[in-house]
Amino acid sequence: MISRRQFLDKGYGIGAIALASLLKEQGLLANPEVAGATPHHFDTLPKPPHHGFGKAKAMISMFMQGGPSHIDLFDPKPELTKLDGKDFPGDIKFDDAAGASREVMGSPWKFSKHGQSGTEMSELIPHMGGIADEISLIRSMHTGVNNHGQSIYALLNGTILGGRPTLGSWITYGLGSENRDLPAYVALTDPRGLPVLGVDNFSNGWLPSLYQGTVIRPKEPRILNLDPPLSLKGEAQKRYLSFVDRLNQEHLEERPGENELEARIHSFELAARMQVAAKEALDISQESEATKKLYGIDQKETEEFGTRCLIARRLVERGVRFVSLFTGNQTWDNHSSILTTLPAACKYVDKPAAALVIDLKQRGLLDSTVVHWGGEMGRLPVIQNRAGAKKGDRAKVGRDHNTYGFSMWVAGGGFKAGHVHGATDEFGHHAVDKVVNHFDYHATLLHLFGLDPKQLVYKRNGLPLGLVENPEARVVNELLA
Amino acid sequence: MTLIAALPAMGAETPVFEKDVRPILKTHCFHCHGEDGVTKGELDVRLRRFLVKGGESGPALVAGDAAGSHVLELLKSGEMPKEKKKLSDADIATIEQWIIAGAPTARPEPETLGPEHQFTEEERAWWSLQPISKPAVPDLAAKKGSHPIDAFVARTLAENHLDFSAEASPEVLIRRATFDLTGLPPTPEAVEAFAAAWKQDADAAYSEMIDSLLASTSYGERWGRHWLDVAGYADSDGYTDKDLERKHSWKYRDYVIASLNDDKPFDGFVREQLAGDEIAQLEGLNPDSPTDVEKARYAELLTATGFLRMAPDGTGAQNDLAARNACITDTLKIVSTAFYGMTVQCAECHDHRYDPITQADFYRLRAVFEPGFDPVGWRTPNNRLVSLQTKEDKAKAAEIEAEAKKIDDARLVKQEAFINEVLEKELAKRDEAIRDPLRAAYKAVVKERTPEQVALLKQHPSVEKLSAGSLYLYDTTYKTSHAATLKKMVEEATAVRATKPVVEMVQAFTEVPKKPEAVPATFLFHRGDFESPKEKVVPGDLSILAGWRTTDLPENTAALPSTGRRLALAEALTDGRHPLLARVMVNRVWMHHFGTGLVKSVADFGTLGETPSHPELLDWLASDFMENGWSLKRLHRQILTSRTWRQSSQRDAERDSVDPDNRLLSRQNKRRLEAETLRDSLLAVSGTLNPRVGGNSVPVMYSEEGQVVIGVDTTDTAGRQTGKFISLEGEEFRRSVYVQVRRSQPLELFAAFDAPDMTNANCEIRPITTVSPQSLLLMNNAGMLVHAQYFAERLLKECPKDDISAQAKRAWQLAYGRTPSDDELASAEAFVAEQIAYYRENPVKREKVVGPAEEDNAPAELMGLAALGHALMSANEFLYLD
Repeated sequence: MISRRQFLDKGYGIGAIALASLLKEQGLLANPEVAGATPHHFDTLPKPPHHGFGKAKAMISMFMQGGPSHIDLFDPKPELTKLDGKDFPGDIKFDDAAGASREVMGSPWKFSKHGQSGTEMSELIPHMGGIADEISLIRSMHTGVNNHGQSIYALLNGTILGGRPTLGSWITYGLGSENRDLPAYVALTDPRGLPVLGVDNFSNGWLPSLYQGTVIRPKEPRILNLDPPLSLKGEAQKRYLSFVDRLNQEHLEERPGENELEARIHSFELAARMQVAAKEALDISQESEATKKLYGIDQKETEEFGTRCLIARRLVERGVRFVSLFTGNQTWDNHSSILTTLPAACKYVDKPAAALVIDLKQRGLLDSTVVHWGGEMGRLPVIQNRAGAKKGDRAKVGRDHNTYGFSMWVAGGGFKAGHVHGATDEFGHHAVDKVVNHFDYHATLLHLFGLDPKQLVYKRNGLPLGLVENPEARVVNELLA
Repeated sequence: MTLIAALPAMGAETPVFEKDVRPILKTHCFHCHGEDGVTKGELDVRLRRFLVKGGESGPALVAGDAAGSHVLELLKSGEMPKEKKKLSDADIATIEQWIIAGAPTARPEPETLGPEHQFTEEERAWWSLQPISKPAVPDLAAKKGSHPIDAFVARTLAENHLDFSAEASPEVLIRRATFDLTGLPPTPEAVEAFAAAWKQDADAAYSEMIDSLLASTSYGERWGRHWLDVAGYADSDGYTDKDLERKHSWKYRDYVIASLNDDKPFDGFVREQLAGDEIAQLEGLNPDSPTDVEKARYAELLTATGFLRMAPDGTGAQNDLAARNACITDTLKIVSTAFYGMTVQCAECHDHRYDPITQADFYRLRAVFEPGFDPVGWRTPNNRLVSLQTKEDKAKAAEIEAEAKKIDDARLVKQEAFINEVLEKELAKRDEAIRDPLRAAYKAVVKERTPEQVALLKQHPSVEKLSAGSLYLYDTTYKTSHAATLKKMVEEATAVRATKPVVEMVQAFTEVPKKPEAVPATFLFHRGDFESPKEKVVPGDLSILAGWRTTDLPENTAALPSTGRRLALAEALTDGRHPLLARVMVNRVWMHHFGTGLVKSVADFGTLGETPSHPELLDWLASDFMENGWSLKRLHRQILTSRTWRQSSQRDAERDSVDPDNRLLSRQNKRRLEAETLRDSLLAVSGTLNPRVGGNSVPVMYSEEGQVVIGVDTTDTAGRQTGKFISLEGEEFRRSVYVQVRRSQPLELFAAFDAPDMTNANCEIRPITTVSPQSLLLMNNAGMLVHAQYFAERLLKECPKDDISAQAKRAWQLAYGRTPSDDELASAEAFVAEQIAYYRENPVKREKVVGPAEEDNAPAELMGLAALGHALMSANEFLYLD
């Protein structure tokens, strides 16, 4: 075996190695390519936006898959209450034939005005009511494709097809990440399972896999490969790492001058650092009791989602660019028993979602962080009666899909505060005033990040493809602060 | 020194137009001034006298007068090239010096610029386009040893005052050779036997070792993978986001592996892949050929043409002209990188910017494949499958189909009855008065319904929407099971159909025979746009070769029902005199044995590529390869028995200072294992490797965490996890070459370690990255732990229980092919003992990647030993080859 001494005597001064490793370090972080072998170079180092006006630096999206009933939560329709039990006076686009009915159902829940803006919201979401003055509530969302998959794709990747990069991939592709020890794009999934379309919800599509959302799982271990498997936790891994390092150092000493081996040792160290950085970021025990209480972590119903919302804030605080939170598969798809299922779904997220906005604001992060809350559709103003309940018995009935008009809210990052945008018709079926299509929403988001949709493209089959490809897409200026 | 490529003429030498100035103008100016009939400002810059004549703004060149030459002024100010980057100072200086020197040309310029004058003498003289010579082996060899490769390498080393490194140890040699030839680590027994034999008679032992490796089936799996990179092998269509699966692709993969294992002469291998269908026609073979041997040969030849079906082809999902043309262009890219080692595809839109390849050349090559592709009469991937079914089997299948049809008919009758039954129930819930009109409205033919009927139905959506497709929805309402009854009948029919004789399909490239006048014509596309066809083009090889060999290819061959164009191209490429094919292939083989080719840019033998480090050696190898039956195994043997290959890979500062990139080969190169080799090594070392050869691809799927892992996808149609687990029964332990290549779903370990996903047609050369996600995977991926646990089980089985020392020793031998030093052994024993003690205190369950979780804790001895295996398998000695 060659000793350290001999190693130096071979003519390789430690300075040369240090310099080489310094150069490699840069390469490590920036996905080195072999000259002439790979046509492109990709990394997640931070990059300036195309335009200086971008206020948003990060985004947290709470994606409520299934389709929250806008007419029971955000979009009060007194007309429906009047018509309750009567036949719907117009055309309806149904999704489910057997359960289809024309019987109008007014919202069973009371609406009231909140904050100085006086925004009307339902009693099911009192905490969101509490942040009415911080958010822009969009009541005129529209995708126009009447099923979950297509509408999810529309909102996440701009088309009704899968296989394309999601919003978070585009933004990290454009701006990189502010933190080298954590993934740039994080997906916080729900313990009840992945939403419809599974991993497509945070897919990089055909962008390099560097821009894929890294799943932080809802339970330990929260990050794959970033966290050792159960059997390798703690001391066991420490001994493993130091044993591997010993093997590698001895191997290197016998092979002086091999920068590649040195670089690999560095990459192992960086990986080990990432473990620590991510662990630290995910460790909410450092948070005060007051903060945990704010997120509802002290209560059974809100503990899980509250923890994820708090993790989302901690990630963004540490420079992560994009965080997606999901609720369980079809949580909001209230085809039946809406009287009980919708309040439960609301209870799960209401307090934590509102807490996220409050917390970001009090830490001065809301101005630079876009917060989004919404699903891929809303619901119809008539009942859906799959159980064949008798007329007047509303216990088992629900509402069918509606992608022609629904609501969602956004806050921070340059969106107006205390604002209500657009409207649906008197029955809440179709968006009629200042309609916001999924592509308008995307154009507006890119604008807030200072990204130019024409420049944020990736060449595929010779064509420059981007997130916003509909020529009619517009930045919704009325939403900008 | 041979290493230095020709520098632009500066200083001493006077620039001349053809050699120094024209290449600059060609790259930056021809596009607008001369090429393709375009002469903006009426200026053509393709000849010196055209420059003197000038254009709208008067003469562009005044020989000897730099200040008076308008062209120089425009280049210096950056006004030209218009809206492009300014030329480099060096290029402008070259042009200026040329003008000052009187703007000399190498020879009188041609009268006209017809096709015969489209290339300069300098272009015609490009090294890779010259006939392959067989240079004399340097004399040096006679004195120093008898190996021709060493003679060539030694001469260059001597010129640079370097010498070979010492020979590597027998342990290193057998490890290097085994990985090189089979992609697997040597077993400890093989290492031991080899070391013993080496002591007796080193040369004989070495020779025998190489022979036995070349004879193993693993050789074809390893080298087949290299060829599959070039061919762009995938088990899915790519191009569109659907990335449809290719169910029959694997037969081409098996063809490649078998051909290499048989040491099929490489020229024949090329001919089969380009024109197997036409060879079958010539040999009169078909699915009904009388003997099994003939039937098998027919299948083999058709399967070989799968090479031309490897490119992404999105027309199964999106059958438009753009997708069709993209498939053709990608196929031409594969053909040109595989057989020409030139970037012919760069001439799709305009003459090649750097190499003597015209735009017409690209379309001449396209014309070879046009009749098979036929963009107008396009066949989608499924319609291109060729059945190997015999007439007998066809007749039998027809009989069974008739039987199944009877069940289908009965089902339709029943379905109708169910719909009527539900309809009546729905009507019964409604007022009696509207029952009859509602029934009539429902039964009326949709188009003939009166407005009243339409309105009525709209009032009763659960009647209106009743159909065969929605019948299942009403089963809940009425507690019936109609949908299940109908489904059962569908299953019955399916079961009957399943008894049909299995139809073997091959993913082949064929032509639909046509009369000569009906054969799809090829047109040159203006600027590459398939919607702007210009003049018709006939098939042919690169026109630059026309000076010394025939480049025309026949449009039709009377002896064949197809055009015979591909067979003609294949024969031209393999006639033993083509300048590229043999050089390109020999160079590829060299790259896989040394990490770098003699020509570093293995897929670019043009002016942007690198010139060979040892041009004479390359030519000698290429001609020797052709003279000796194009035998790849012979070539491997030749390389592996050389002193050049057998050197130690150890660096030293002195060599590094003279030749840091080791282009002169004064040592071997250290190489990182490729992704597949890494996974195969994990399997081999842990003792789980399933050696089964060939067959269907091992499926990949998304795990719940969104990682691509090996397994059977059990998500439902909406992409949701169902939690079901289907065992692969040992298939998961098969070699990586058999793992499904789904372009959109690369296996996590493959993607991390730089395996190509084939979204860009093919992979000419793999990048080698060193990034922390790789380390995270080695460190923390549960899959690594699973391999380590199997490794530990193996050690416990093969060594005395409780003898950690013996177990660790065996671990080293298995993982690294060597015995550990005393130091290493001591530290390993201490490590294992500590880990065992830890696991006794803190019991854990076995790690798993797929399938139900373990219930009981694993023995501490197993997990402690697994920790050692894990460390050995993630350390650099496992990843890098000396």
